[in-house]
Amino acid sequence: MRRLPRALAILLALALVLVACGGEDTTETTQAPDSAATTVAATPTETTVGTTDTTEAMMEFAGTIRFGAAVSDTGRFAREGQDTRQGYDLWAQWLNEEYGGIKVGDDHYLAEIVYYDDEGDSDTAANLVERLITEDEVDFLLGPYSSGLTMSTSAIAEKYNVIMVEGNGASETIFERGFKNIFAVLTPAGNYTQSALKALADAGAKTVVIAYEDTAFPTSVAAGAEKWAVEYGMTVLASETYPLEVADVSSIITTFKALDPDVFVGGGHFNDALLFVRAAKEQDWTPDAMVITVGPSNPEFVTEVGADSEYIIGPTQWERTMSWETGWFGTAEDWAQRYEGLWGEPPSYQAAESTATALALHLAIEAAGTLDTDAVRQALYDMDITTFYGPINFDDTGKNAAKPMGSIQIQDGIINVVAPTEAAVADLRYPMAPWGDR
Amino acid sequence: MRRLPRTPRLVLLVLLIAGLATMPLIPDWFPDQSWVTNSRLFSFTQMFMLITLASNWNLTGGFAGYVDFGHAVFFGIGAYGTGILMNHGWSFWPAMGAGAVFALVFALVIGWPTLRLKGPYFAIAMLGTFVAVREIVRVSKGLTGGGVGLTLPPYLNRPLFYWITLALAVVVVFIMWWIRRSEFGATLIAIREDEVGAEMRGINTTVNKITAFAIGAFSTGIVGGLWAYQNTFIDPDVVFFPSRTVELVMMSMLGGLGTVAGPVLGAATIYWMRDVVWANFADYHLMVEGFLLILIVLYTPEGIMGRLGDKSATSLQKVWKRNGKVPEDAVDEAVEQVTP
Amino acid sequence: MDLFLQALINGVMLGGFYAAMMLGFSVIWGVMGVINLAHGEMIMVGAYLSWVLNENYGMDPFVSLLIVMPIMFVIGYVLQLILINRVVNRPILASLLVTFGLSIAVANLAKLVFSADPRLTDTALSGAWSVGGVTFPVTKTAIMGVALIIMSSLYLFLQSTRTGKSIRAAAQNKQAARIVGIDINKIYALTFGICIAITGAAGALISPTQAVFPFMGTPLTLRAFTITALAGLGSIPGALMGGVVLGIVESMIGVYVPGIGTNLAIIASFVLLVVILITRPQGLFGGLRPHEEPAQI
Repeated sequence: MRRLPRALAILLALALVLVACGGEDTTETTQAPDSAATTVAATPTETTVGTTDTTEAMMEFAGTIRFGAAVSDTGRFAREGQDTRQGYDLWAQWLNEEYGGIKVGDDHYLAEIVYYDDEGDSDTAANLVERLITEDEVDFLLGPYSSGLTMSTSAIAEKYNVIMVEGNGASETIFERGFKNIFAVLTPAGNYTQSALKALADAGAKTVVIAYEDTAFPTSVAAGAEKWAVEYGMTVLASETYPLEVADVSSIITTFKALDPDVFVGGGHFNDALLFVRAAKEQDWTPDAMVITVGPSNPEFVTEVGADSEYIIGPTQWERTMSWETGWFGTAEDWAQRYEGLWGEPPSYQAAESTATALALHLAIEAAGTLDTDAVRQALYDMDITTFYGPINFDDTGKNAAKPMGSIQIQDGIINVVAPTEAAVADLRYPMAPWGDR
Repeated sequence: MRRLPRTPRLVLLVLLIAGLATMPLIPDWFPDQSWVTNSRLFSFTQMFMLITLASNWNLTGGFAGYVDFGHAVFFGIGAYGTGILMNHGWSFWPAMGAGAVFALVFALVIGWPTLRLKGPYFAIAMLGTFVAVREIVRVSKGLTGGGVGLTLPPYLNRPLFYWITLALAVVVVFIMWWIRRSEFGATLIAIREDEVGAEMRGINTTVNKITAFAIGAFSTGIVGGLWAYQNTFIDPDVVFFPSRTVELVMMSMLGGLGTVAGPVLGAATIYWMRDVVWANFADYHLMVEGFLLILIVLYTPEGIMGRLGDKSATSLQKVWKRNGKVPEDAVDEAVEQVTP
Repeated sequence: MDLFLQALINGVMLGGFYAAMMLGFSVIWGVMGVINLAHGEMIMVGAYLSWVLNENYGMDPFVSLLIVMPIMFVIGYVLQLILINRVVNRPILASLLVTFGLSIAVANLAKLVFSADPRLTDTALSGAWSVGGVTFPVTKTAIMGVALIIMSSLYLFLQSTRTGKSIRAAAQNKQAARIVGIDINKIYALTFGICIAITGAAGALISPTQAVFPFMGTPLTLRAFTITALAGLGSIPGALMGGVVLGIVESMIGVYVPGIGTNLAIIASFVLLVVILITRPQGLFGGLRPHEEPAQI
């Protein structure tokens, strides 16, 4: 009994020491084991030597602009987090080695990206962003993957008045809080299904059913889907939700099958796409079209699902076959090839939007001619450009109002853009053939 | 182990707490220092919260011997209670208080039937409760925002949260210490060691168990409310985070079940360990943590305080032995004699 | 009526799978008193094994069972000897924590090896039969069939063979079993091995129907809890009944409650768990430890 206060004292002291030591370790470690950006930025002399252009070789860098990014190396968004990181790193490498750094006034600056692993947890991400701002003292922030993490990290950015540009959080709620330091290059969630539904309505579809996971992003997508379906003259027969980590969706499919709708819209994440396709096949249900929000635009989907993936439609922020073209990375295809050369795998749209994110911020800094937050912010509001990723023009909430959402359909094993018509490379195939015939 | 005389011990303790309390003021006194940052204050805040949570869990799990595998449910109820009320215009302190009261009431409601169950069944019943509540929160969109989550009015003041959580941790640990010395504490331990015997001696085990359970739930609810406010955004998966409960169990076990200092030490150690592991094993850190947990359980069942000689530390081994089961050793001996 | 029948069939199929999925968990608990929180991860390992065979050798997941099950048996046997054995004599909390640590370690190891990308296997047994107005998915029917075979084999094994009886003896009264000369360690290792083999088989079976990824195990472990509580520890007929009951309940709620049906089904299963534990903790069907009184006072 008398021992306890002493024990308390000892252990509180111990705790203090332990956390202190532990804390120091982490702040000194930048978690970027294979980041091209950090190694490149650390040795400016090497970069100038390595380039072929003589004007580049004579460039001196006035310093480094630091960008902070919490991305998911581990946890539920590990795959997408990797895509995000690779997108950012590609920009940094191109910027530092080819483009010649960020031009601020008459000076050129290298870019360095400081990374931390948020483990897919919004609590952690927010803490890390705070650390990036207060301890690593980054100048600007690049967004994380997913709407949930963007929600919490943007709140930190807003508090500290640091600009965050992101490309992987599409949920509308991010922009409904009146924040002025958050900008997104991607098409917001509510518009994900717009071009697909329009194309289907034009093809004759009349009735729609929607199934969605009841987390932030899919809920926004579903709400948008409902809105656009009605706008294009179709009726929504049913709308079902399902929880995260659902294992069996037969009940939903059974209900839908009984309603016999023309179009199925499914909103969730990649796993759900696999689940729904297999479930529909098992229940022998073939609607005239299936629109699934995450999955079909990813080549992995075709690989895993095989022949069953034919006819499936999916929204896509970006495809390499799209015809956007700019002076910074060339066409979408040019960018894609650069990505493949650097990372050895074809790019997903998450990677593309990440490069576009960094690019937008970079161009805004150049347009502002200074690192001052208010000036860069104004430059972002004023921005009106077209990139390999599509048009970028932010409205006053920070959303990219100018960029339409593309829709792809898997045709003969190839992902083809079928909508909107300006960017389409193939015609929509409607209705779907039954499962057995593929 | 030799004990320090009482006065210096107390002085040491007060100094330590005072030292911790002044940490947020250091940036004002020494503007050039870079060690105390908001991020570090946040780290400490997390740690204080964990200490509080672990101590709460230890009340039911360590003192009374009822291992609760769904304790995080009270955290979640506190968090959501606070969030919902703040969205209806309540200000923070009353909202947090109400959230904790909801947790308390829920503990009374669920504790009554579940505390009748034996060890593992109680643990699992609480786990089931935890998951059920999470899913109920998820579908109650009108009330809780469902899977989309709730946003609380943003209020970012790291030093303030630091002080609040420090104060809470000190208060809670003090309460635990006081309980340990009190009649109530002795009763709980009696229940843990031999519940049937305690009943026979006239102790109303049900009331005592539920009281401990409710106290733990209430202060866990408070932490939940604080956490929600600090985080600004909550959703069912972030709040009802499954491994949170296991973390609490781990911390109490590492530190020493049933001791006062145990959860504190365990929480601090685990927190530090995570930070170090995380920094050095970035990709593998969760995997390493898993292995560490296994090692902890296998090799330090009575916890650090137990090893330091604190006799009140218990491993569940001892609990179960005294609960009327035949001691392993005696039968082992018998078997040795019988089998050729 | 068609809708009802379809929901019923779906529920039964789901239930049959659930039963096979949780059987290993239930028997381990019943025989050894160990709650294996790494159960879902064992399913995941079996699923990945099946995927590897499917991806590299084109092997159908149903065929891969012949390889997956022996491998999982060995894994289980070894795990028991080096790890589980140490917590068998300890209170339940120890096994809970050790297996929890194992589950984290294994899931993240899988992520390192296979990456987080979700996978699917292809099976020749796909498509659907339509009989009357009701659709029978071929894959799920096959899964149910295999599940029944596994369950009945285990049942016969435990009832009729000498080893099986030794296992049941060890479950009922470990000390007495030792006294009559049963080598408890070997029995435990064998039991664990068999149960992990069954669990891995469930993983292989599930791989054509849903995404295989490192963190797929957690919800399955929780399901296993629920059904075990329903069924009673180690009871095979109980497992089948419990699984089917849960499957039907989930399916019916999912179909008949509009909008939030699937979510509600999950809630229902956990509320059911808690209710059963409170009212009839030994489960609906007794099991290997029918004498164990779960309530205190």
